[in-house]
Amino acid sequence: MIGVSKNGTLDYAKLEKMLGDLVLQKEDHVNAPAFVIRPDAVEETLTLLKDEAGFDHLSCVTAQEYEDRFESIYHLRKYDSPQHELGIVVPSPKSNPWNQSASSVFRTADWHEREAYDLVGINYVGHPDLRRILLPDTWQGHPLSLDYDQNKPQIITLQEHENPLQHTLDDNTMFINIGPHHPATHGVLHLKTVLDGEHVVAVDPDIGYLHRCEEQMAQGLNYRYQIMPYPDRWDYASAGLLNEWAYARAAEDLGNLEVPEYAEILRTMGAELCRICAHFLAVGTFALDIYGDFTAIFMYAMRDREIVQSILEDLTGQRMMFNYFRLGGVVWDLPEPRNEFLSKIQTFLDAVPAGIQEYSDLMTSNEIFQLRCVDIGILSPDVARQYGVTGPVARGSGIDYDLRRDDPYGYYSNLDWDVVTEDGCDIYSRFLVRLGEVEQSAKIIQQCVSLLESWPEDDRIIQSNVPRTIKPPADAEIYRAVEAAKGELGIYIRSDGTQQPARFKIRSPCFSNLSTLSEMAEGGLVPDLIAALGSLDIVLGEVDR
Amino acid sequence: MINFILNTQTPLVDAIYHLLGFDGLIGTIISAFIAAFLIGNIMLISAGIAGPWAKRKITAVFTDRIAVNRLGPFGLLIIVADAIRLLAKELIVPEGVDRPSWDIAPLILPFSALLGFAVIPMGGPLQLADPETGLVFVFAVASIASIGVVIGGYSSNNKFSMLGGLRAVAMNIAYEIPLIVTAASVVLFAGSLRLSEIVSAQADPLIIIAGVAIPSWFAFVNPFAFILFLVANLAEIGRNPFDIPEAPTELVAGYVTEYSSVYFVLFFLGEFLHVFLGGAIIATLFLGGPAAPISSLSFIPGFIWFLLKIWSVFLFTQWMRAAIPRVRIDQMIEIGWKGLLALSFINLIFTAVLVGVIA
Repeated sequence: MIGVSKNGTLDYAKLEKMLGDLVLQKEDHVNAPAFVIRPDAVEETLTLLKDEAGFDHLSCVTAQEYEDRFESIYHLRKYDSPQHELGIVVPSPKSNPWNQSASSVFRTADWHEREAYDLVGINYVGHPDLRRILLPDTWQGHPLSLDYDQNKPQIITLQEHENPLQHTLDDNTMFINIGPHHPATHGVLHLKTVLDGEHVVAVDPDIGYLHRCEEQMAQGLNYRYQIMPYPDRWDYASAGLLNEWAYARAAEDLGNLEVPEYAEILRTMGAELCRICAHFLAVGTFALDIYGDFTAIFMYAMRDREIVQSILEDLTGQRMMFNYFRLGGVVWDLPEPRNEFLSKIQTFLDAVPAGIQEYSDLMTSNEIFQLRCVDIGILSPDVARQYGVTGPVARGSGIDYDLRRDDPYGYYSNLDWDVVTEDGCDIYSRFLVRLGEVEQSAKIIQQCVSLLESWPEDDRIIQSNVPRTIKPPADAEIYRAVEAAKGELGIYIRSDGTQQPARFKIRSPCFSNLSTLSEMAEGGLVPDLIAALGSLDIVLGEVDR
Repeated sequence: MINFILNTQTPLVDAIYHLLGFDGLIGTIISAFIAAFLIGNIMLISAGIAGPWAKRKITAVFTDRIAVNRLGPFGLLIIVADAIRLLAKELIVPEGVDRPSWDIAPLILPFSALLGFAVIPMGGPLQLADPETGLVFVFAVASIASIGVVIGGYSSNNKFSMLGGLRAVAMNIAYEIPLIVTAASVVLFAGSLRLSEIVSAQADPLIIIAGVAIPSWFAFVNPFAFILFLVANLAEIGRNPFDIPEAPTELVAGYVTEYSSVYFVLFFLGEFLHVFLGGAIIATLFLGGPAAPISSLSFIPGFIWFLLKIWSVFLFTQWMRAAIPRVRIDQMIEIGWKGLLALSFINLIFTAVLVGVIA
C-alpha cells in the first residue's frame, strides 16, 4: 500500500508523490495534512487514493464559502486504520462554484454532496441526482452561503399538490408514501416507496423534516460556553454525552486544551452509560417494529433504560439534555454521597448479565424472530464501506471499526474491553452487536467505577485551566470524530480567529447509515423494509440536524 | 318457514316461550327476538369488558405496567369513559371513499360474529338454535367477516387500507381450510355436526386418575388437533403472530386506517367478538362446551364454565400478542399452505383411521 511507512504511520510525502501534478498545494489541518486539487480532478484523485493508498472511507464532505472562493473538503480515512487521515481540498471560483462529483468513487458522496449543494450551493458536476436534501425543493438560496439573507422570509410552496393515489406509474407498480407520519419511521422520516404487490421496487428516503439549522446555530455561538448544550439535541435519544464529546474533542484539539485524567474517567463512564441507554432504546423500538405491538420486550427495554437514565440524572442533573461536558473537563464531580451513587451504578451493573440473558431468551432465541431477521436486510461489507457506514451497523457487517479503540480518546485505551463484531451482515447481526455492546459498555463502566472509588481525594480535578475566551488561530481547521452510539460522529470546525467557529459541520453517522436503506430493502417485502429501517437505529434529530 | 322454525331445536327460545306463556307463531317470533337480544348482549358485554379494560390490564401484567386504575374499582369505569370518548368523536369521512360500501363494511364484522353465537351451546337452555348443521353454520357466518374487511380496505381510498384488505383475504383463504379440516376431525369423533351433540360426546370420562375422572374432551383425546386449531384460530381472528392485516408498524392500521369514531368502534367491537367467537368454537369443539372439568365441580352453572373457557382463549390470544413477533406475510402464507394445511389433513386421515378401527 502506497503511503504507509514501515512503522505504520502515514507518509504524506509519498502520497504527494503518487498524486504528482494533481496536488496544487499542501495545507495543514490540525488533524491531518490536506492536499489542494483542481475541481476537475476530484474523481481521479479520490480513485487513486482509494485504490492505491487504501483510503476506503470517505467520512465527511464539508463545503464552505470564503470571501474569495468556495471550497469542498473530502475527509478521507481508512477503515482498517482510522488514524490515517487525509483531507482533499477542492477550491472553486466564486462566480461559478463547481467541482466534479465524488459519487462515482464513493457512494456516500451522493448524499453528502447533495447536502453541500443544498446548504452552501456548490454545483457537483456528474452527480447522478443533485437535488436538495434537507430543505424543501422550493427553497430560495443556500443558507450557509455568505450572501444569504437570513431575515428574508421564505414562502414554502409544494411544487404541486400531489395526490399519491393519482401517482400512477406506467408498469404495475404502486407508489406509496411511508411517513412522514407512520408508526415505524421513528420520527419524521418520509420514505417514497414504489411497491410491486408487497415487494419493494424502489425506496427513496426523504429527510429534512427535523432540520433545525444546528450547524448554523453553532456558527453563531462561542466555543467556550454556548455550543455545548446543542449537541445533546442532535441524537436526542439519550446519547447526549456522546455527542457532547464529539464537540468537546474537536474544540479541545483545536484550542489545544488539556483534559485531566479524572475528568476523562468521568467522561468515559458517562458516555458509556449513554451508549447503554441508546442501545436499550434501539433494542426496544426494534422489537416494536418486529413484534408489531407494545410487547414485553419494549417495556423491559424502557424499564432498564429508565434505571440508567436516573443514574445519568444523578450525575448530570438532567435526564436527556445533559450539558455535562465543558471544554477541558466536565461541569461537576460525582454527586454526594459518592458511595451511594457508585453503589447505585454497581447495582445496575450487577443486573446487566441477567438482563441481557432475558433479551436473548425473548428475542434472539425466538424462532419467529430469527425467521424475520436472519438473512434479511443484507449489507455486505463492501457496500457498507462504499456508503461510509459506521457504528453497530458496520460492525454487524463484519467491519472491525471502532474509533474508541482505533483513534483513541478519553480513557478507553487504559481499559480492558472488546469491539463486538458479527459477520452475518443482516438485521440479526446488528441486533446482536447492540446487545454485545451493552455488555462491553457495562464492562467499561465497571472499570471506571473501581477507578473512581479508589481515586485519591486531593487529585479529583474535574476541569483543566481553560481561558475565559477561546480564540483558536485564524484559518485553523480540524475534523475530529468520536464513536457515538450510532457510529462515527465527526465535527469539522474552521476558525476565523474569533470566539465563534466560521464553519461548523456535523458528520452524522445516522445520515450515512440511512443512505444504505435502499440497498437493503429493495427487492424485499414491506415488513423487511420496516425491519431494515429499525435495524439501522436512526434518530432523525441527528440525520437532519 | 314455520316448519323450519318449529323444527329447529331452539332451547332458549322454547324456555322463554314457556316462561312468558306465549302462544302461536307471533309468540315464537317475539321470544326468539328476546332470546337473541339476551345472547347478543352477553357477548357484547364480554367484548365491552375485554376491549377497553381487560386487554389493557392483561397486557399490563405481561409488560410490567399498571394500566388503568383511576376510574372506579380496578379502573373498571374506564369502559364507560372509553365508550363516551369513542362515540363522541367526529366521524371523519375521507374524500373519495366508496359509499355506501364504506359504511357497510364496519357493520359486517360485528354482525357476522354475533350471528355465530346463535348456535353455540352456552350451558343449560342458553342456546338460541341448535340446527343439525350447527358447525357449518358457525364457520360460514364467521367467514363473512373477511368480506367486511375487504370491503373496508377497498372502499377506503387508501393504499394502506387496500394492502390490509388484500392481506386479510390471503390470510383467510390460507387459514380457513386448515381450521375447518381440523374441525372435521372432531366431527369424526362426535359423529355429528350438531353442536349440542358434539358437546355431549365429550361428557364421558376418558380416564380416571386417583379417583378424579378426566372428561373425554377432544382437547385431551386429540391434543394435536387442539393445537392445530388454536394456531389456525389465531390467524382466523387476526391476532399475533398473524395480525398482518392490521400490522400497525407496516400498514399503519391496515383496513381500519381511515375509520374513526363509531365506525372504528364497530370494527374494534367486531374484532373482539371474533376473538370470543373463536373462543366459543374452541370451547365447544375441544373443551367440552359448558361442562365442568371434573364432575365434583358441576354445581357451578355451565354458563360460568363457558364464560371461563372463552375468556381463557382470550387470555391466550393476549399472551401471544405480548410475547410473539409477527411473521411476515409470505412466511405466514407459507406456514398456512405448506404447514398447517398438510398437518390438518394428516390429522384428519389419522383420526378417520383411528375412529374406523375403534368403532
